[in-house]
Amino acid sequence: MENVHRYNSANEISLKVWAKSIRRNLVRMVARNGQGYIQQGLGAADLFTYLYFSEARMDVNDPTWEERDRIFLSTAHNSALFHATLAERGFLEDAELETYTKDGSKLEINVSERLGALVEATCGSLGQGLSVAVGVAQSAKRQNRHFRSYVVLGDGELQEGQVWEAAMYAASNKLDNICLIVDLNNLQVEGNTQNVMIMDPIDDKFSAFGWEVLSIDGHNFNALGDAFQKARCTFHKPTVILAQTIVGKGVPFLENKMSHNMVLPADVAAQCFSILGSGHE
Amino acid sequence: MSENLHLGDFTQKVGTSPIPNYYGDALVTLAKNDPKIVALTGDLTPATECDLFRDTFPDRFFNLGIAEANMIGVAAGMARCGDVPFVHSFSVFLTRRAFDQVAMQVAYPRLNVKLAGFLPGLTTLLGVSHQSIDDFALMRSLPNMTIIEPSGPSQMAASLRAAASIDGPVYLRMHRATETISAAKIEHKIELGKGQMLSNGNDAIIFACGHMVAEALGAAKLLKKIGISVAVANMHTLKPFDTDFVVEHATRTGVAISAENHSIIGGLGSAVSEALAERHANTNVKFKRLGIMDTFAEGASTPYLFNKYGLSAKHIFSAVSDLLEIK
Repeated sequence: MENVHRYNSANEISLKVWAKSIRRNLVRMVARNGQGYIQQGLGAADLFTYLYFSEARMDVNDPTWEERDRIFLSTAHNSALFHATLAERGFLEDAELETYTKDGSKLEINVSERLGALVEATCGSLGQGLSVAVGVAQSAKRQNRHFRSYVVLGDGELQEGQVWEAAMYAASNKLDNICLIVDLNNLQVEGNTQNVMIMDPIDDKFSAFGWEVLSIDGHNFNALGDAFQKARCTFHKPTVILAQTIVGKGVPFLENKMSHNMVLPADVAAQCFSILGSGHE
Repeated sequence: MSENLHLGDFTQKVGTSPIPNYYGDALVTLAKNDPKIVALTGDLTPATECDLFRDTFPDRFFNLGIAEANMIGVAAGMARCGDVPFVHSFSVFLTRRAFDQVAMQVAYPRLNVKLAGFLPGLTTLLGVSHQSIDDFALMRSLPNMTIIEPSGPSQMAASLRAAASIDGPVYLRMHRATETISAAKIEHKIELGKGQMLSNGNDAIIFACGHMVAEALGAAKLLKKIGISVAVANMHTLKPFDTDFVVEHATRTGVAISAENHSIIGGLGSAVSEALAERHANTNVKFKRLGIMDTFAEGASTPYLFNKYGLSAKHIFSAVSDLLEIK
């Protein structure tokens, strides 16, 4: 199947082009009325680009393909990025992005299944995505099917106890077909995660729960590639990729600005486009 | 020596001869015909009668440990892959503890997940933590949820089949049999969403569910002795609720009682009240809710608790007598 990825040919240059385009679109979506999570979106854009363009097996001509890899967005509020990524990948029309957060739109701030295919679960209530992803991995094993279950969690979300219930079950049942990616952006509603709840050492916690732990720079495509490859070659236990990311990445004056729900004034948006391009060059 | 010890599972009485697992047997029978059925339990396999399933279909059985929130999420994931999970725990943990997970991961996406909860209402020595007095209220408030409570072991297999016949979420409120029933008593049918008239009468009607069906029949018998003719209906499907049936028979008799092993708030009593109030033209129906009167209880034997909290035949007898102004 020609349309089924992994993009073996996806090289770093193409990935950078896609990521830049995704960033541009998500700024455009959020700038329109200031609704949406810009900082987290910019921060995880490289991660999403790699996951959707290079790692996951999916078919643009058949979004509901039964053997597709499942990607769960447990941080469902990172939706501007999610929708922009789907559009870049060809699963959504660019024009649909214009409706983001508008009354009646299927593109909501917390991604819901109203959108349709590729929303594998509705996860606005934090802490639930990993459990559903684990259930999918469990059924895939039982049914001897070979798709993989990917799930993206935020670091603040690790404060939800259900995450650790699911982590314990996945390791206990040797589910090596699940890959958890934690977007370590150090940001939650009230600011720096370490000021709200000391979670370190996160790597040791997952190790102690029986997971293979890979700590990487979430903006380095080679590191992402190596980590996903290692995850696919790790057997009898689940893998977590701890991806360190920088909020606002890609727009230098926004980088490391720790704002969870930032309004983006028109003049600031214009500055963003001067860096990310207009999309028509 | 150790082989002489009785290995308890929270619900079987010590010293009694084995009582058939009406639920567990029915689940295995169902699963033999449907390879998609899987069973999930949260460290309560024998107490939820899943041991036969575990031994018959080890590859289709999953023990999730003491982690109900995760269990609901895992069940949802499995349903998304085409499996049909039957999820087992005590009612209170499936509904109250994991409510958000049931709402977002099962009810909202309308997944084919069956929640089989045990220890309904005041049927356990284990105490207030294990008594499910608000599960109807919680599950009724969720869109897409179907709710079934069989009147007893005789209706368990039928309710299980009814649940399996729906492609969507179902909450089954189950109570393990405390005695063996004769094969002739097993009911083979349940008509989902329909009130089931068990005995006719013209002076009043008792709408009952679960345990209270037997108590209602007992009350009707007592009332008959003093010349009162009372109808008893088994409202096994709490949702979708048979509003037409309730309105018709309450209007016909003019006196109605609801009787449930659950809080009077949010369960059968509320469903009957809503039906009468919203549909109603005739405001002359006299109506009373019987159930747990907006209070928490404590661990004790079922007869003791039913007597203390107003859930026995004699309480129904008194309520009907009061409404009919019989002195």
